Amino acid sequence: MSDNILYSIKNMTVEYKTRAGIVRAVDNVSLDIQRGEILGLVGESGCGKSTFGKALMRLHDGPARISAGELWFDGRDLMSLPIDQMPQIRGAEIGMVFQDPMTSLNPVQSIMDHLTETILAHEPDSSEASAKIRANELVEKLGIRHERLKEYPHQMSGGMRQRVMIALALALRAKLVIADEPTTSLDVIVEAKFLDLLKELQQEFGLTILLITHNIGVVAEVCDRVAVMYAAKMAEVGTTADVFANPKHPYTQGLLKSVPNIKLDEEELFKMKGEPPNLLKPPSGCRFHPRCPFAMDVCFNEEPPFEQVAKDQMASCWLYSEKAKGKKLEAHHG
Amino acid sequence: MSYQNENPISSPPEGVSWEAELKKVGFLRRILMGRKWYKVDWWFVVISSFAVLGFIIVAIAPGLFAPYKPDVLVGPRFLAPNEIPQTSVLIVPADSGITELKDLAVPENAARPQIGVVSGFSTAGDLNTQSQVIDEELKNGTSGLRLRPKISRYASLDELLTALKNNEINAAVLISTEFDQVKNKYPTLREANTLTGESVVTHGFPLGTNDIGQDILSRMIWGTRIALIIGFSSALISLFIGVPLGLFAGFAGGGFDRVLSLVMDSLYSFPGLILAIAIAAVLGPSIMNIIVAISVLYIPTYYRIVRGQTLTVKEEVYIEAAKSIGARKNEILWRYIFPNVIPSVAIIFSVNVADAILTGAGLSFLGLGLPPTIADWGIDLARGQRFIQTAWWMITFPGMAIMLVVLSFTLLGEGLTEIFNPKLRDR
Repeated sequence: MSDNILYSIKNMTVEYKTRAGIVRAVDNVSLDIQRGEILGLVGESGCGKSTFGKALMRLHDGPARISAGELWFDGRDLMSLPIDQMPQIRGAEIGMVFQDPMTSLNPVQSIMDHLTETILAHEPDSSEASAKIRANELVEKLGIRHERLKEYPHQMSGGMRQRVMIALALALRAKLVIADEPTTSLDVIVEAKFLDLLKELQQEFGLTILLITHNIGVVAEVCDRVAVMYAAKMAEVGTTADVFANPKHPYTQGLLKSVPNIKLDEEELFKMKGEPPNLLKPPSGCRFHPRCPFAMDVCFNEEPPFEQVAKDQMASCWLYSEKAKGKKLEAHHG
Repeated sequence: MSYQNENPISSPPEGVSWEAELKKVGFLRRILMGRKWYKVDWWFVVISSFAVLGFIIVAIAPGLFAPYKPDVLVGPRFLAPNEIPQTSVLIVPADSGITELKDLAVPENAARPQIGVVSGFSTAGDLNTQSQVIDEELKNGTSGLRLRPKISRYASLDELLTALKNNEINAAVLISTEFDQVKNKYPTLREANTLTGESVVTHGFPLGTNDIGQDILSRMIWGTRIALIIGFSSALISLFIGVPLGLFAGFAGGGFDRVLSLVMDSLYSFPGLILAIAIAAVLGPSIMNIIVAISVLYIPTYYRIVRGQTLTVKEEVYIEAAKSIGARKNEILWRYIFPNVIPSVAIIFSVNVADAILTGAGLSFLGLGLPPTIADWGIDLARGQRFIQTAWWMITFPGMAIMLVVLSFTLLGEGLTEIFNPKLRDR
């Protein structure tokens, strides 16, 4: 394993048990997160990207479970750790920022309590006074005034709360921060500020950030690399520049075309045909084939491998597969 | 932005607009809406906490405040609040040797003694009753004496006393306070004794006396102790049982939760007072048993509220966020779920203390609660109910005591919740 890789996810599958049957929200997905990068994870609602993010901390309970795969974080296999040792990893090494800052803080604890408690929970030896000093230093970097530490979550704005969530992740020098749609509920100005802050922090602390979002614009702005998920599968992974300039997977191509662009004078916005599949009964073969303009026979029957299609770019599509070259190419239009 | 100033729905926070709204509504609604319009909760809390504190102090040391012991017979029966009892006294010439009514008895055939009264007072009746009692005793005795006085009625006090001064009659019967006023005018007369021989009660009782001559104020003050003991102990017992059960059931879920919920729901489905009556009837009357009966009644209330709250809070994002920063199950339960559940427990607790006091009083009222020798508001209510038409004070004051305690606890609980819950603070 290369030292450059912080978190290596290998063939992970996450299942939900429902009354209608077993849903695989993440199906046999592999991804490498490199040290110090901001990796964007994009996809439609319900494609499994949030489930993927939570699974990285083994944060699932109830009907969900990780049924297969290996999670190599910083040289350790998290799947082989007993689940009651996970709290030591959570917060201390992997932090998380949630979608809705309005509800992700305990309403009956002040901001200071949140911070000191997190520090003390992981470092029982440090004193409360030193924890307070650290909390003060931390919020200063994040642009929160000291006086506000006494306040309760409901007294702060959404942007402030998201900063507090970041502060919580940074309080213990987490190596990886998973940000699950952190800007969805913020307005554009606050969103821009927050993204700037993320970038700054990433450079200052050498943070690695997994940014889960459905907003292509956010990805283009801050991410070094981008991973595209479709129907519980990884569709394409590559550097942001490559993927945006030269998208390989038809889904990525459609996704990029459907972003409104003021410079292009198109009469109507591109709409991808069809609907995202029902994960209870996913389509056979390639999951995108019912919506794919380039669908071939092989796409109906066989699942495409996830493999290198260009330098620093991987995709799972038969179009680029050597294996498919020998088979009959026959485009289906519809 | 241009639409910044538009805010059509917000309530009037300052200025005089609420005053205009005040004129449109009735008194009760005004009190209820007051908390919204001009934030009077603060006053509610101050007043009710003083009241609660007062009740607690009284309950701790009732002896300091009560003028009498609760079970002492202090004076005449059915005395209205502040009514000075009218004691009939026997007035005789100063030089006679008579010290009590009995001394006026004469042999069977001798001239009967003449005793004067002022017409229109209770004295004639008292004299009649008392002399009949004495005569009955004498008749059965061996002395051969009888007491069958001739009663002469006079129009005024002066006429009566002048007649006595002139020895036209042997003695006079007066209300004790009336004689005190004119004592100096008749130096040759003296007060022999009260008719019955008991000492004179010269003052009234602030809240009157009951049907056996106990001081109602004293009984009320001593009754505070019982009421608060019952209220607090049963509410605390059910809290300490109900809250942990609800927390664990909500947090753990599964079979434990299902079985416990079934038990609690079946308890809850009984009408409250009926269940308490059944338990109290089986256990027999004593303070401990009444507390047990009432706490069983309220365990499901805590359980259901806490379990429901726990289920809601458990799904909040901040619980997941807490997990993501490495909080353990224990911490999540006590640091995150418990504090978010406790405000609702505080409300139930205060209302529960009040409710338990009511139920305790109800049980005593029905004769199932406490032995009747104990000073208890419920018992006093039950007793007063029989005399509601002749002695309104017997039932009114214990009833007011119950109402005041219940009201103070409820107001305190509601007010405190709003102050301590940071979510509600800025409203």
